[in-house]
Amino acid sequence: MVHKVLSEQGAGGITTTAIRIRESGIERRARFRGLAEPLSLLVALAVLISVFSLLNERFLTASNIQNVLTQSAIPLIVAVGATLVILLGSIDLSVEGVMGATGMTWILLSNNSRGGADLGPWAWVIALGVALLLGVASGLIFTALKVPSFIVTLGMWYVGLGIATMLYGTDLLPRLEDEGLKGWTSRISFGLPNSFWVALLVIGLGILVLRSTRIGRVTLAIGNSETIVRSAGLPAFPVKVAVFAIAAVLSGLGGILATVQLDIGSPTVGSGVLFIVIPAVVIGGTHLAGGKGGILRTVLGVFLLTILNNGLILSGVESSYQSAVTGAILVAAIVFAAWSQRDRLRVAK
Amino acid sequence: MTKIDSERTKVAVPARGKLPSVKRIGGWHAIGPIVIFLAILVVVAILTPAFIGSGGLAIIASSSAPILLLALGQAMVLNVGSIDLSNAAIGLLGAILLALTLGPVAGLSPVIVLLATTAFGAVNGLIVAYAQVPSFALTLGTLGIFQAVALVASGRTTVYVASNGEGVHALYESGIANVPMTFWMGVLLAVSLWVLLRYTRIGRGMTAIGKNESAAIFSAVRTRSLKVLAFALSGFAAGLAGIAIIAQAGSASPTGLGSDLLLPAIAAALIGGTSISGGVVNPLTVIFGALTVALVPIATTAVGIDAQAQSLVYGAVIIGVVALTMSRNKSSIVK
Amino acid sequence: MSDVTTTPAVLHLNNVSKSFGSNRAVRGVSLSIQSGEVIGLIGENGAGKSTLLKILSGNYRHDEGTIAVNGREVQFRGPADALRVGIGVVHQEQSLFTNLTIAENIEVNTPIGRGGVNRLGLYNWRRLYADAAQALDLIGSHLNPKTRVSDLSFVDRQMVEIARAIRVSAASHTTPLVILDEPTAILERTETAILEREISKLRDIGSVIFVSHRLDEVMRICDRVVVMRDGELIADRAVDDVTEEELFRLMVGRETHAAVRSRRSIDPANSPVISIHDLTRAGSYADVSIDAYPGRILAILGTSGSGRESVARAIFGAEGFDSGSVSVAGYSGRQLSIKKAVALGVGYVPAERKTEGMVGEMPADQNITLTHPGSAALGPFELPRRRLSLARAWFEKLDIRPREPEHMLQDFSGGNQQKVVLAKWLNSAHLKALVLDHPLRGLDPGAAETVNAQIRSVCDEGTAIILIPDTIDEALDIADDIVVMRDGRISGVFDLGHDNPATLDLLERML
Repeated sequence: MVHKVLSEQGAGGITTTAIRIRESGIERRARFRGLAEPLSLLVALAVLISVFSLLNERFLTASNIQNVLTQSAIPLIVAVGATLVILLGSIDLSVEGVMGATGMTWILLSNNSRGGADLGPWAWVIALGVALLLGVASGLIFTALKVPSFIVTLGMWYVGLGIATMLYGTDLLPRLEDEGLKGWTSRISFGLPNSFWVALLVIGLGILVLRSTRIGRVTLAIGNSETIVRSAGLPAFPVKVAVFAIAAVLSGLGGILATVQLDIGSPTVGSGVLFIVIPAVVIGGTHLAGGKGGILRTVLGVFLLTILNNGLILSGVESSYQSAVTGAILVAAIVFAAWSQRDRLRVAK
Repeated sequence: MTKIDSERTKVAVPARGKLPSVKRIGGWHAIGPIVIFLAILVVVAILTPAFIGSGGLAIIASSSAPILLLALGQAMVLNVGSIDLSNAAIGLLGAILLALTLGPVAGLSPVIVLLATTAFGAVNGLIVAYAQVPSFALTLGTLGIFQAVALVASGRTTVYVASNGEGVHALYESGIANVPMTFWMGVLLAVSLWVLLRYTRIGRGMTAIGKNESAAIFSAVRTRSLKVLAFALSGFAAGLAGIAIIAQAGSASPTGLGSDLLLPAIAAALIGGTSISGGVVNPLTVIFGALTVALVPIATTAVGIDAQAQSLVYGAVIIGVVALTMSRNKSSIVK
Repeated sequence: MSDVTTTPAVLHLNNVSKSFGSNRAVRGVSLSIQSGEVIGLIGENGAGKSTLLKILSGNYRHDEGTIAVNGREVQFRGPADALRVGIGVVHQEQSLFTNLTIAENIEVNTPIGRGGVNRLGLYNWRRLYADAAQALDLIGSHLNPKTRVSDLSFVDRQMVEIARAIRVSAASHTTPLVILDEPTAILERTETAILEREISKLRDIGSVIFVSHRLDEVMRICDRVVVMRDGELIADRAVDDVTEEELFRLMVGRETHAAVRSRRSIDPANSPVISIHDLTRAGSYADVSIDAYPGRILAILGTSGSGRESVARAIFGAEGFDSGSVSVAGYSGRQLSIKKAVALGVGYVPAERKTEGMVGEMPADQNITLTHPGSAALGPFELPRRRLSLARAWFEKLDIRPREPEHMLQDFSGGNQQKVVLAKWLNSAHLKALVLDHPLRGLDPGAAETVNAQIRSVCDEGTAIILIPDTIDEALDIADDIVVMRDGRISGVFDLGHDNPATLDLLERML
């Protein structure tokens, strides 16, 4: 009897034969959307760029373009991890905390105004190790203890902030002293800002992982149906932990770069990044329920939001509006994505 | 694929006439929050005896008021199986609106603020119920919007009550048993919500949604309206929290405070025995959840943990409480 | 693919049994399948087919008896073990990742360092596509392995599932045994023909167990047919030695069914409580017209592809429809919502009691008053004491045990839970019609009997009942009217007051 085919928490749907048949229709339509979405994003980007360049001649200058690329680098890096997590059907809210803890660890172990240890490259290793630990902790609590990911990572957000605040302590502001690193992120090499090169590298690796490794493919499979993953004997547990670990390390990398960019150590170095990353992933067309989407789409989403913010500021809009713009876009994107799937028996939590 | 296996249900049939004791229903959820609060209080009292002597309890109660109010709203949303990440931002916006409007419209101002925050919450609820989007994502988005509105409305600076602040301030100055009215406001709200949940059809429906939304739909429970109501109550409670903030401080700052309250309020709701998966809540024990959360900074200092570690403690407490109290079964899928 | 020596049976079951509590779902089944054989497995719902399949697929462990594959005894700890020895099950609910390509679904279990997955764990897509194409080729399918599964028709998805099922054994050069669990139940006739053709190709590379409701297909495709009834394997015949009629008779167990209660014909003076007219929902059912009268039980018979569950949901407003009308107690609307249906006096007992029918973590009395509080509420306020005494009265009336309505509903036994769900609707002051979707599912015979007795008495009090029964027997046992559906259309209407349809006749109209 075809009755309760699917009752996964989160998705929580009731699927009868009839609904299922209709769903296959929806999926077919979704495929057209699948093509239309990146296209419409590109169109939106083009429209934005032309509108802003008409409004303000400074918009299309080389320096502003470099500026936009630098601004987008850190969200891009973090968003690659966030995309993987959302493809699982989970969510990572901890990015800002992980960024804070990692950035603070890194600057205190690097050449900074407080003195102390200057471990050079080891500072990177240790700092990213902190991020890895936080990510593995999130992943393990999520998978082994079955605590919903939004709660684990909400908690981990504040754990990270707490670690950063404790490391910061009550001492003087730690200032980056290494002249070679100061301003490194926005410096130009081969025509692009350094941090943007890092972002490109991360994007490339992310696409490789998602497209051609077991972790990536099982991630997509889990997002589609974890029940089938388990019954097929695929490694759901380790993959989920690994994805949270990858996401945290990327957040950590973002945190270090943000610290370099800021020149000083601050627990809230990641402030606002979550509000670009999650909307960017969602408007890129990656489904919050998991299984569908990709990294390149997220890249487009990040560009869209960064350019929007940059253009608005150039047009004289107060930066206070930033979180409203991204928040509204997030709301619009999830409502748009969910609209076609509304059903009187559907349960959304 | 998780086909409900009809045959397996037969295994679980208990022998006729023997059911588990009803007492189990109350159990830990009823007394746990009180026990936790008392245990921490005892530790604090032993380590810093002066604290209790110098009216420390009253201080805790008064500082817990905004957390309690937000936690009660959050608990109502959690009870229908959703979460409201925007309620602290709504509360903060409410505080700023109150500070801005108390001068011009005086006594009407709190009414306007409560109407506005209730409406904000209701909008959250309407979108969750009718667009069927996940509440954490939606309220993350609206959190950003409310934050921006707060920034713009306040002009990015701390807003002080210009005039007519006496009435609101009195809520903090006057009190019963040395505890300010802001706290008793929370207690009153808790009792009202308790009555709502326990003795009305509305409350029964909300709890049914949290425990099994599909069954609630098939039982013709007005699931959508009740979700909207839960979110509206969260907005209303956030408005009260905004009033409590102004009563206490006479001013509101658009930065920080919102996120400083969000996590403690969720922690208070969870420590207060509210289930993250919905359907289990007792507003009366949430009072003790809020008191416990207000006690955390004092307790951490008392046991020698850096005061800086507060947010770490809140984060860990939330994860820990959910991990300890969540009901889970082996085959269930958690996202 | 491999040289097959036919000496040991591909699969040999010896006296396999499986019980759930006191219910022996599978009793002493012995069966032997040779390489290249296609076996048809038939039986009514609840005959034990699905339990047997779950044992073979490694989802259940059998209590007694032995299972041998290629002469070697096996113990399955999980589905992966079954796959490893070459038993692949294609379930009715498909188990493909719809967001991935055909190739990935087929190659999903390829271990690192083999096939298209290199030693670093990186995928070689060209190789994966080639391997998948090979597996598809083996079963004679020419689907493009790069196609995404969500873009495939149902019959194509079945082919992908079959390819996946044989992939493991093809790689290890063992003879695959493919079990197809009602693959044609939801297919159109033309699609069925395609699938039939493909299945017969499987004969060349392995063995097949084909589970189906459609006897004509079984007769066409299979070499042998085995029949299950009441958990036992009661017949094992070569198709040449048996007729469809004989198989029907074996499945049902007897020719006719003695009526348990006397039936009246529809009283022409009465008007129907529920009247649906030309109801159509694309892909589910079409042109369905049914009238349900007060004081009569109308049973809708059909297999899982018949669309009868969808019709039942439409009557309760739980599912929309594309055209036609549903009128309830004189009200007729284009669309019906659950709230509207309930306000008009319709109740619905869903098939999935635990997930849709009841709030298990709520006390029984609160479940009873959840929809219609009756005297247990005063305006918006609930009166806990009245609620309890009201619930006690229902417990008394429906003989719900133990008589402790303040307990969590999940702690009660299945039959008693179902009676509480009934009481929830009976508590309405104006109940006019009750839609029962598999009300006896998962209940042991004793509990089923008492629930049935309550359904009868509710009906006798003047409520119209629309019943989706588990079995034909259940319908003949209790119904006044029987409507048979096949492939989304009505294939027979009987008023048991003057018609006396034979079980066989009903079954034939279903299949």
